[in-house]
Amino acid sequence: MTETTRTKGVSRRTLLKGTAGLAGLAAGSGAITGFPYVKSADAKVLRYLGTAVNEGDDISKQCLKDTGIKIEYITATTDDVTKRVMTQPNSFDVLDTEYFSLKKIVPSGNILALDAKKIKEFDNITPVFTKGETPGGKKIGGQGTAPWKVLYLEGKDSKKFATSATEFVTLIPTVYNADTLGIRPDLIKRPISSWSELLNPEFKGKASILNIPSIGIMDAAMVVEASGKYKYADKGNMTKEEIDLTMKVMTEAKKAGQFRAFWKDFNESVNLMASGETVIQSMWSPAVTKVRSMGIPCTFQPLKEGYRSWASGFCVSKGVSGPKLEWAYEFVNWFLSGYAGAYLNRQGYYSAVLSTAKANMEPYEWAYWMEGKPAEKDIKAPDGSLLEKAGAVRDGGSYEDRMGGVACWNAVMDENDYMVRKWNEFIAA
Amino acid sequence: MKEGRPRSFYVLAIFFAAYVLFLYGPMIAIYVLSFQGPQGGLTFPMNGVSTFWIAKLFQGTGIVDLGAAFHRSLLLGIIVMILTVVLSVAAGMAFRRKFRAQSILFYSAIASLIVPSIITSLGISLEFRIIDDLIKAHWNENFETSMGLLTSGLGAHLTWTLPFGLLIMFAIFNRFDPRLEEAARDLGATPWQTFRHVVLPIILPSVIGIGLFGFTLSWDELARSSQAIGAVNTLPLDLQGLTTTVTNPDIYALGTVISAVSFTVIALALGTIHMLNKRQAAKGSDAGKGLV
Amino acid sequence: MSEEVLQQAAPGLIPGSGTARAAKLTRLSPSFISWLQAGPMMLVFLAFFLIPLVFVVIVSFWDYNEYQLLPAFSGRGYTDTFEGCIAQLPDLCTIGRTYVMTLKLCFMVWAITLFIGFWVAYFLAFHVKSKTWQMGLSLLCTIPFWTSNVIRMIAWIPLLGRNGLVNSGLVKAGLINQPLEWLLFSEFSVVLALVHLFTFFMVVPIFNSMVRIDKSLIEAAYDAGASGFQTLVNVIIPLAKPGIVIGSIFVITIVMGDFITIGVMGGQQIAAAGKIIETRVNALQFPAAAANAVILLAITFLIITMMSRIVDIKKEL
Repeated sequence: MTETTRTKGVSRRTLLKGTAGLAGLAAGSGAITGFPYVKSADAKVLRYLGTAVNEGDDISKQCLKDTGIKIEYITATTDDVTKRVMTQPNSFDVLDTEYFSLKKIVPSGNILALDAKKIKEFDNITPVFTKGETPGGKKIGGQGTAPWKVLYLEGKDSKKFATSATEFVTLIPTVYNADTLGIRPDLIKRPISSWSELLNPEFKGKASILNIPSIGIMDAAMVVEASGKYKYADKGNMTKEEIDLTMKVMTEAKKAGQFRAFWKDFNESVNLMASGETVIQSMWSPAVTKVRSMGIPCTFQPLKEGYRSWASGFCVSKGVSGPKLEWAYEFVNWFLSGYAGAYLNRQGYYSAVLSTAKANMEPYEWAYWMEGKPAEKDIKAPDGSLLEKAGAVRDGGSYEDRMGGVACWNAVMDENDYMVRKWNEFIAA
Repeated sequence: MKEGRPRSFYVLAIFFAAYVLFLYGPMIAIYVLSFQGPQGGLTFPMNGVSTFWIAKLFQGTGIVDLGAAFHRSLLLGIIVMILTVVLSVAAGMAFRRKFRAQSILFYSAIASLIVPSIITSLGISLEFRIIDDLIKAHWNENFETSMGLLTSGLGAHLTWTLPFGLLIMFAIFNRFDPRLEEAARDLGATPWQTFRHVVLPIILPSVIGIGLFGFTLSWDELARSSQAIGAVNTLPLDLQGLTTTVTNPDIYALGTVISAVSFTVIALALGTIHMLNKRQAAKGSDAGKGLV
Repeated sequence: MSEEVLQQAAPGLIPGSGTARAAKLTRLSPSFISWLQAGPMMLVFLAFFLIPLVFVVIVSFWDYNEYQLLPAFSGRGYTDTFEGCIAQLPDLCTIGRTYVMTLKLCFMVWAITLFIGFWVAYFLAFHVKSKTWQMGLSLLCTIPFWTSNVIRMIAWIPLLGRNGLVNSGLVKAGLINQPLEWLLFSEFSVVLALVHLFTFFMVVPIFNSMVRIDKSLIEAAYDAGASGFQTLVNVIIPLAKPGIVIGSIFVITIVMGDFITIGVMGGQQIAAAGKIIETRVNALQFPAAAANAVILLAITFLIITMMSRIVDIKKEL
């Protein structure tokens, strides 16, 4: 009996040893690469939590070269970023988030008020953020959580937003854009000029909106207003009755099979459009560019009712202090100093400090992206891939035209809880 | 025994093949699309044919260091695998006798499966925040966080893999004949020897299965890690993070390469085992036939 | 039964020099040994599941406003969830409709994975004789799962979409003129993707209980003149029942709480219990999310308990 078991053990033991060896090998290779959190004492390291939008490899490399600060990216989806701020405030130093999240994040007490005096380019930040107007003086629509409403705090440890400028800043702006509908002109074959087309039965089963309730409902509100059904006092801060009304419109559309799918990230919006699953949907500028760079016609259609805008920037975690806080300021200052701004502009987003970004871009690039002029040469993405051939003109035109045409901003409503409940009801309908 | 194979064998073999084809359905799209041209996207129609994205994968994708995330996930997966096997086999042995906390453990495992991953993840993050605050208040003011891949992350993954490990052990020990162990004891074997030389060899293939299962669950886990992983991401989290910006077929290339490497390694391993078995058979050993 | 066995066996061990240590071990009470064996797993569950779960339950009774959590007792998370359930009768309220949908999806996925899982396990356990082949085929079924689900989810569009492999194949074959719309972003695609993900969770436990079945029992059944079908119903299914129940527990518990697959494959337009929780969490309304999780836990427990009534797994050991 014992004899049998012993011989029997041989092949299995060999097998086990082999498995263990493999495991060891894998674990070993992990050790060689090293884990980011094993860091030497004097390295300047900042943990950067955000979506992949701003997290260019080129940006972190250039930053290390210029400032000696090593950026460790923690990449997550938009929803996850906000959640992590609430659940794991100790796991990041610098936070890249959107202005509309501030209404949630600031009361949690997890972020630090930044000192405006320590931001070198603060006075050069585009007036879009500070005054709510374009550099050319056009007034920008302020419905929703417009950045200037939540840019300042009343005091260092205050959780209240100040109505006028103070030196305590919540979020240093970095990137923003004006969103509208993306369409497939080759499949629609007629001009589109109004938000109301999103719910036009002609595009039954071929429309899509964003799966973030607070943004989805604003797209719907644009449709409601465009079709003349109702005029909101503030689309970004609806009353319960207005929420009911908007959800009713959405529910009818959903029941009629208007929506193919709701998208929740950049990549999904590209895939839906590129594969022809949808022909009209709420979209982001670089996503449209991406579809087009695959050789598929796609237009970021300017609409007469205007754009829905969003903006994001940097917060610093409350847990950051001492030298690390200085590095954080150094990093934010570096980010606004031009290289990163140019990088963002080249993707089709907008940078917060226009003057420094302009200095880092070729004149023909600036003319195409910011001035709405036809491209003199081929337009390339930051990674060198071709985006547009010479002669192309940016959809929606210049910065002035696009930002000046903003009607509302992504928002968190006062009736957010009610709205989310209604959203769940809408999904279950 | 009947001669040849029964008809049911062929019917079921076709059924099995259809199942495998179904399993590989999305994979086929991935394999094909990873060979797109440089202008290709993630959907059909194909945009040229090349190995551009495979090459790109090895040069690094630019935004996220997928290589580092790959190693982290592999390390975590292997640790989770080992712990799942050891803890599940031990607990499975315990369940063969009656003991007081049996029901508590059983229902904990079931509850751990039911509670949606994000909620478990939130709970763990809450717990670790309290731990962090305690450490900061009492020991070290500059303490950053106790959350991490191998603390909260490992724990979160175990709450996912252990219920599977435990319940599969139930199936394995189902009607396991205790007379074998009795016989071993009568022959003077210690409990460990009994386990090592009698029980383990019988259950070993299934136990390897649990390990494989545990690894796969950990490797593919997403929602449970999301709030409990600390400052570093696992591979699925990084991949998901990537989808927030321009996403290229290099992630398909990753799938293709992982599959190709897996196929090769497994084919080699099985080939080796097959050869070892053959050699033993040639030596006239009765290995593999004894006992049962 | 095994307790007595152990006690009987203990004095039978020869107290020689080599086994002295072992003899000491066996003097430990059997229940202590059980604690030692099960202890580590219990600790893991305690530290990483039960304590966090307690926090979740506490939070579910907190109040919250639009912007923050208020640590004061409130049942709002629960009452809001059942909003309109009485007022809207006989129509179902949101939560009612959501659970009907979830249960429907759950039942379909369970039935299909059970059918496929049973026959796949049957094939692997009874028709594949060599252990090497069994392992090889199991691995073949595991490899797709090593490509992250994040990537595989994306790949359903090129497979099932309007211009996907399936539709273009069917059109080329002349079977259809127009691409089939319901292949993607529908209940069909949700069930398909869930079956795709979870059939193997059924195969593994069923396979493991099938390989434990003594082949001579089946031989005996045939020798006694039983037909293949009779053997299946009277011998194999009863003996594989624990595996079937365990697999069912896996599939039901996961599908009840799923939100990722139902979300992506349903185009985010199909209601599910897990999805309500996700929406709440994403809106940072943690108390409401926690309350919904507690409700889900209670309902799913009820289902599992009913199943355990049919087969007591712990007794089967």
